[in-house]
Amino acid sequence: MNTLTMNNYTLIIMVDDKQVVLERILQVTRYRGFLINGITAKVNTGNNVATIELFVSSDRPISLLIDQINKLVDIKSVKVDNKASQLSKAKECSA
Amino acid sequence: MTDSKPLTGGGLLFKVLEQHGVNHVFGYPGGAIMPIYDALVDSNVQHFLCRHEQGASFSAVGYARASGKVGVCMATSGPGATNLITGLADALADSIPVVAITGQVPTAAMGSDAFQEIDIFGLSLACTKHSFQVNHVDELEKVLHQAFEIALEGRQGPVLVDIPKDVQMASVSPTFKATSHLKNKVKLPLADISKALDLLTHAKQPILYVGGGVGMANAIDEVRAFAKETGMPSVSTLKGLGALDTNDKNYLGMLGMHGTKAANLAVHDCDLLIAVGARFDDRVTGKLDQFAPDAKVIHFDIDTAEINKRRVADAPILGDLKENLPLLTMPLNIENWQAKIQQMNNDFAWRYDHPGEGIYAPAVLKEISDLMPNNTCVTTDVGQHQMWAAQHMNFDEPNNFLTSGSMGTMGFGLPAAIGAQISRPHDTIITVSGDGSIMMNVQELATIKRYQIPVKIVLIDNAKLGMVRQWQDLFFDGRLSETDLADNPDFCMLAKSFDIATKQITKKCEVTAAINDMLDHDGPYLLHVKIDAKDNVWPLVPPNSANNEMMESA
Repeated sequence: MNTLTMNNYTLIIMVDDKQVVLERILQVTRYRGFLINGITAKVNTGNNVATIELFVSSDRPISLLIDQINKLVDIKSVKVDNKASQLSKAKECSA
Repeated sequence: MTDSKPLTGGGLLFKVLEQHGVNHVFGYPGGAIMPIYDALVDSNVQHFLCRHEQGASFSAVGYARASGKVGVCMATSGPGATNLITGLADALADSIPVVAITGQVPTAAMGSDAFQEIDIFGLSLACTKHSFQVNHVDELEKVLHQAFEIALEGRQGPVLVDIPKDVQMASVSPTFKATSHLKNKVKLPLADISKALDLLTHAKQPILYVGGGVGMANAIDEVRAFAKETGMPSVSTLKGLGALDTNDKNYLGMLGMHGTKAANLAVHDCDLLIAVGARFDDRVTGKLDQFAPDAKVIHFDIDTAEINKRRVADAPILGDLKENLPLLTMPLNIENWQAKIQQMNNDFAWRYDHPGEGIYAPAVLKEISDLMPNNTCVTTDVGQHQMWAAQHMNFDEPNNFLTSGSMGTMGFGLPAAIGAQISRPHDTIITVSGDGSIMMNVQELATIKRYQIPVKIVLIDNAKLGMVRQWQDLFFDGRLSETDLADNPDFCMLAKSFDIATKQITKKCEVTAAINDMLDHDGPYLLHVKIDAKDNVWPLVPPNSANNEMMESA
């Protein structure tokens, strides 16, 4: 059993409502080493922009994930909701 | 173009390819892409029938890397599409602009587990820069333009466009307007070079660390001007080879796991590392926390995500290398450091005085490098021969050395050489392969025969999966597991069966004449070079070790 310092983050992601954009974000999040703890997503049908709230945790810096999500073609913006994010919350895992 | 007569979706595809200057595509037909292959008959695009879709995807990669243009490959649905994936993954990992077109079952059949149906759109997420599925023919023209734009924009990469069969057959009136469609391009901040200038002017032992991004940024002139003006010692990654002037007395060659001793020791001792289009890959750094342990870092890159990913940059400089690198180009007062570098270059120079009559692969590759015509393009497969080629051959441009750097894909070399030769018909194209690797896409010998593609194949044969065998000997107590290839086919007979001229050599005294025969031959040629199965690639930085802890013998 290793003890890793897991931090919790909430990301606010604005995207063009395009095919599989949600799958792309989830794939990148998993591949880059972040656990997905929850997600909400809603499309504004007026402007075809979706707002995604993504709750993640990892021992890796959140900037790594933000940079990778930002590279996806249909992303308009990615921000960390600092109020909702909890840093340095120790969590045991069996890595 | 003003022709707005209705076309089929398949016909529109080729019109758009022509708009983007595509003259050649690599592919393999099948049921769900038949309307596109029907439209091909009436197009001006030349199609090369490869003998496996993976070959088609690697030929597209080789075409793109050798020419700087977008490589295009096509395959049918299901297994045709999945066979493209390794080539796309390779293109993503090495940032190569490729557009892949896949046929898909008709929209009405999608999601029904139809014959040859696979969710290639879903499979593409992890192995492309972006992908599209075209659900209506009215979207097709815009999507195809976007695919080319995305493949080339910023850090380049592969884009897949999946087109259902009914969309390929549907009628559409094209607009022929190729306008920019990318709304969300990343805006890079203006470079702040003040910190970098401060680091540079105070450095006593700086090193220029050059990667594959230099060639892709078309910044070779700027990098060479920087190296010359500053007099800074320089090293290259595998993909950066060719970017620097190999005659520069301060150039130390490749760094990393199989890098030169001088390059690795110099990087270990430097006080400033200027990374240019390089990404601190694990094969470069060895044990990361002991890589250039006393150095500050200036990091030039086009990709924000590479900054601070594996090594924190003291001065990151994002953006176009051609614009930014000249801002730091200035004379430096580093004579003592240059003298030390030149001494190391002299002390640790490669030696080719291999004992015995048997053939020493590094010497063969050095001699080919010395004898090959100007602007020869060399491709490799993956393994010992790849590292020997990187160590012992010299290249004057990065697009003259095509190797699967990040993905390390065996089977890359032969189809990549075919693509390179199609894109550069007047240049000599050599593929250096191994007896393990060549069998991974050996069917492409049929493509060479069909189109009489004059690729020269140098097959380094040790009847082993040599690199894995080397590691088993060194790090697994000599317990050899599934690395013996003593039952290889007769490679010369194999070549002859595809009407490819061939010769086998087994002794040192045969090498020079055989190389000249190969280079003088008009058509395709396979030079079969038998070497000792126990030859190893040296130096070698063992796993989890610092680069200054390299092994130089067993």
